Amino acid sequence: MGLVCRVVEQAGIPTVCVSTGRDLTAQVMPPRSLFVNFPMGNNFGGPFNAGQQTAILRRAFSLFEEVDEGGFLEDWSDSWPTQVEYFRGRTGASG
Amino acid sequence: MKPINYVEELNRHYGSMGFPPYQWTINDTAPLVKPAKPVSDSRVTMLTSGGISLCTLPGFNPDARNDHRLDAVDQEVDSGDFQINDSYYNHDDADQDLNCVFPIDRLRELAEAGIVGSLAPRFWSGFMGRIYNRTKLIEESIPAFIKSLREDEVDLLVAAPA
Repeated sequence: MGLVCRVVEQAGIPTVCVSTGRDLTAQVMPPRSLFVNFPMGNNFGGPFNAGQQTAILRRAFSLFEEVDEGGFLEDWSDSWPTQVEYFRGRTGASG
Repeated sequence: MKPINYVEELNRHYGSMGFPPYQWTINDTAPLVKPAKPVSDSRVTMLTSGGISLCTLPGFNPDARNDHRLDAVDQEVDSGDFQINDSYYNHDDADQDLNCVFPIDRLRELAEAGIVGSLAPRFWSGFMGRIYNRTKLIEESIPAFIKSLREDEVDLLVAAPA
């Protein structure tokens, strides 16, 4: 997806990537990224938490107006409160 | 929660399945185009790679590799009319509420509130299939996507990988 953002941006259409994989995003370097330290598939937060979903989406939009240098990566302020499963049967450490 | 080291974990995961080491793309620069107008005047669309499709269409292959499928999604479709088929992440939450990963309801609300200017007629879902043939992606699939974005006069793209 980072590659898609880079090629679309090169074609003249600004992009922002809302990512849950910090290391993956950092090495691909999309033009603008908001890293959300939530499980993959929860890029915008939890189910039926419209306030959280809107806040993350609005922060992503604000990067269009704030970022001046390609490859910008911002960390979303909140982190997922519990352990997460990132492959079947594998659980990431919390804390 | 500390950020998960996906690169290390994916190398280990696929290595244990007998796959050769994945050639990760590592860039040290990135393009940047400044938007021509404020977000509040811009036409916006969104792209997900989360294996999300309309229930009226065949589902994505949940174990896909090199799947360049890209679905256009009418921007007025109900967020409850989707299915998710992707074995690479836990979509239990997104199955309950699509907006966890593809927040089309939230985007509509931002447009109604005037925070974004307008919505493009089409949203997008695709590029989900562990794509190894990047040349085809760069030379064919992404240019076709860009052509569609231009047809819709899109000013800004929000992308959410999953």
